[in-house]
Amino acid sequence: MSEEPSDALKRLGERIDKARAEHVPRQPVAVDRSALQSGLGLGFRIGIELVVAIAVATALGWAIDRWLGTKPWGMIVLFFLGVAAGMLNVYRAVTGINVPVGYRRLGGDEVAGQMAKDDWDDDEN
Amino acid sequence: MAIELHPLEQFTIARIVPIHIGGLDLSYTNAALVMTIAVVLVTVLTVVATRSAALVPGRWQSVAEMLYEFVADMVDTNIGHGERRFFPFVFTLFTFILFANLLGMIPYSYTTTSQIIVTFALAAVVFILVTTVGIVRHGFHFLSLFVPHGVPKLLLLLLVPIELLSYLIRPFTLSIRLFANMLAGHTMLAIFAGFAASLGILALFPTAINAMLIALEFLVAVLQAYVFAILTCLYLGEAIQLH
Repeated sequence: MSEEPSDALKRLGERIDKARAEHVPRQPVAVDRSALQSGLGLGFRIGIELVVAIAVATALGWAIDRWLGTKPWGMIVLFFLGVAAGMLNVYRAVTGINVPVGYRRLGGDEVAGQMAKDDWDDDEN
Repeated sequence: MAIELHPLEQFTIARIVPIHIGGLDLSYTNAALVMTIAVVLVTVLTVVATRSAALVPGRWQSVAEMLYEFVADMVDTNIGHGERRFFPFVFTLFTFILFANLLGMIPYSYTTTSQIIVTFALAAVVFILVTTVGIVRHGFHFLSLFVPHGVPKLLLLLLVPIELLSYLIRPFTLSIRLFANMLAGHTMLAIFAGFAASLGILALFPTAINAMLIALEFLVAVLQAYVFAILTCLYLGEAIQLH
């Protein structure tokens, strides 16, 4: 009871700093992914990705057909493109939501290709 | 002894204050009322709870601070450090959807996020913002988002339209995910409640299921707000970082 109030504040500050230091190393990304991929949410997400991609692409094809009078080709082509885009979105949803559009995560393959090329050069020598 | 059941009746829009301007129906509806309440509640929570900010936070201040830190964490990890300028947008979006979803859980209330036009408007704002940010930051180079890297030239003819399409579909998946989750959940609750109303003594079973479903619906309400916000962050991060 005899201590100064500023002492108590200082100790509280130290405790907050300590708690904060413990809090930071926890990887929030891991938490995010597990929450997003929790069964029900993921299942619903995948169904919607596929169905919406096909529906929107087909509707777009229908609109293009009406506009340009190319019936039925726009709808047919865009239907298949929609299926492909839907599959791609599902693939991205399953393999991890952080994969950007355009497969740039596959940088590892590029390195491997580079190494293979070097080997070829060596053979020529 | 048939009881008339209308599980979809809860989604009816009712005009509270009819306003008609130049052939447009701009009436203030029950949906608009719940949205207003959501906005007011968020504002009250964040403004009033932090007005008498103390070093050791009180109950409401901790709630507001938890919300803040949660969204700040999400923005930092998914958009990138030093991109806090998008924090107000993501925070507004997250808290608005969260409160709209949770207000819908109150009996006799209205679930605004079960209206596709509401969720689509939100998703369209996100889509326009992401595209604008990408173009402002990278200019013409933004289009490289649609060109997969290290692919034979001939295959690009096929892959670029697919990438473009999967980009254009985003506002639809974003809005339909939220809308469908809320609509399906609340319809299911109403259907099981209808069973309970018509089964007499056996009503115990659908009531028990409904009790569990309500817990699930609370989870869905929070989870969907979170999913919407985190996907917004991911899209923004992608448009900004663009390797």
